[in-house]
Amino acid sequence: MNRRLWIANLTAALVVAGLLGALFNAVFGALATHTDWSRAWEYRGMLWQGWLTTLSIASAALVCGMIIGLLFMLGQRSNLVVVRWCCRGILEFLRDTPLLVHLLFGYFVILAPLLARPLGAAGWNDKPIIGVLILSLFHGAYLGEILRGAVESIPRTQWDSARAVGFDRIQVYRHVIIPQALRRVLPAIAGSFVSLIKDSSLLNVIGVTEFFYNTRNFITGTYAGLEGYVPLAIGYLVLTLPVAWLAHWLERRFRHET
Amino acid sequence: MKLEVDQLVKRYGGTTALDSLTLRVADARVLALIGPSGGGKSTLLRVLGGLETPDSGTVMVNSRPLPAGEVGLIPYRRRNGFLFQQFNLFPHLTALENIALPLEKAHGLDRGAARDTASAALGRFGLSSHAHKLPAQLSGGQQQRVGIARAVAHQPEVLFLDEPTSALDPEMTAEVLELVQELAEAGQHIVLSTHEMGFAREVADEVAFIADGRVAEHAPPARFFNEPASPDSSRFLSRVMRW
Ligand SMILES: Nc1ncnc2c1ncn2[C@@H]1O[C@H](COP(=O)(O)OP(=O)(O)O)[C@@H](O)[C@H]1O
Ligand SMILES: [Mg+2]
Repeated sequence: MNRRLWIANLTAALVVAGLLGALFNAVFGALATHTDWSRAWEYRGMLWQGWLTTLSIASAALVCGMIIGLLFMLGQRSNLVVVRWCCRGILEFLRDTPLLVHLLFGYFVILAPLLARPLGAAGWNDKPIIGVLILSLFHGAYLGEILRGAVESIPRTQWDSARAVGFDRIQVYRHVIIPQALRRVLPAIAGSFVSLIKDSSLLNVIGVTEFFYNTRNFITGTYAGLEGYVPLAIGYLVLTLPVAWLAHWLERRFRHET
Repeated sequence: MKLEVDQLVKRYGGTTALDSLTLRVADARVLALIGPSGGGKSTLLRVLGGLETPDSGTVMVNSRPLPAGEVGLIPYRRRNGFLFQQFNLFPHLTALENIALPLEKAHGLDRGAARDTASAALGRFGLSSHAHKLPAQLSGGQQQRVGIARAVAHQPEVLFLDEPTSALDPEMTAEVLELVQELAEAGQHIVLSTHEMGFAREVADEVAFIADGRVAEHAPPARFFNEPASPDSSRFLSRVMRW
């Protein structure tokens, strides 16, 4: 039975490899006459610059988003009903409307008129700053919801024990609830970071010169085809795959722990 | 330990957990609360331990009134110790860290002193070999003993134990009760609820029988177990002693 399964697997692998090979061959062959990899090499500085910008935007939004997510979670658990409702309202609004709309509206209509001048005067470029801010808010709303679910899944006895040993409200969260909640949702948080990295490409609509923006400039400027899109895909995969693997790894580890 | 509980009322939605409960203990080292499930023992302990605020009534522990708000209750809880039926330990911390962290963060010891005190507390109850294990790696009885070690590490004025052995098998029950007895003999003031009648009889100075949110009877164990005065308590005793 093992032997037969092995042969079946091998056959399937050969068939899949053959089909994919034929497909790639057809596509790349047809496009080969228009594909000139040296053009991508010429633009490597710009592409690299964009990739670095994407990396820093995603990292900054990751940190800010996490802080905003924590605040959303705490806000929704506040004793003050007004704070709870406000947080809930903002969070639903952010989650249930498209990021693209937040970016266009938030930047051109609200934040740029308010902040572009003072930021510019201080020598800052307002676009990436406001872009990161909106991206952080959007992802903070998702993280806030993930964290709230995790915190609410911590059993009552842990809250009681934490209060019984004399922790104040902040210490209860800091030393008992959040460490346990984070362990539970680390895979989900890692998964949402993958979305964040991909979503950072939307910042091109407000003119942030990130990876997608620069690649698109390269493509439209040189009529590039595959030599533009292949590096783009690889560039994003280099960022997202490790995080996705981390998410799977954490998930497996967590399953073993419980 | 002196307790003066007057007209204590605690409601949860429609249910009245404590129904004008009054209890006066002039001077006892160990007070045992016994009675049927749902009678209000846990609720009384939670109020006495500063984990729950009553709807009305007054509580004086050692002649001092129980602080009113959550902020005032924090120092009160730090002064005392509390152990629940189970899941007392923080699962992400080792036995040692479970004891050291509150000493450091709630009692203001520096890190080294907190760890030394925690080690000493574990050593006192023969738990040193478990210091670096996570709660999931300990048996239920060991978890409760670490829980007690944590609750007494800062030398609490009163130790509150809510059915500390109800979730354990007989052997583990014995190991935990022995520890509680040891503490009592060392002079620790204890208020506990328990279904272990033999333990209450032997170790407690006073027994309060609690049913329907009131103290139905309050007496020294010898009198309570030999000649229960109220019909409720004699019915309860004849039922639990039957097997
Ligand atoms: N958190 C709570 N919410 C609602 N009802 C509760 C809660 N805690 C206790 N009660 C109710 O209060 C009554 C007394 O419960 P409890 O103090 O736990 O009794 P005991 O510890 O003697 O079994 C019971 O009817 C119980 O259902
Ligand atoms: Mg109870």
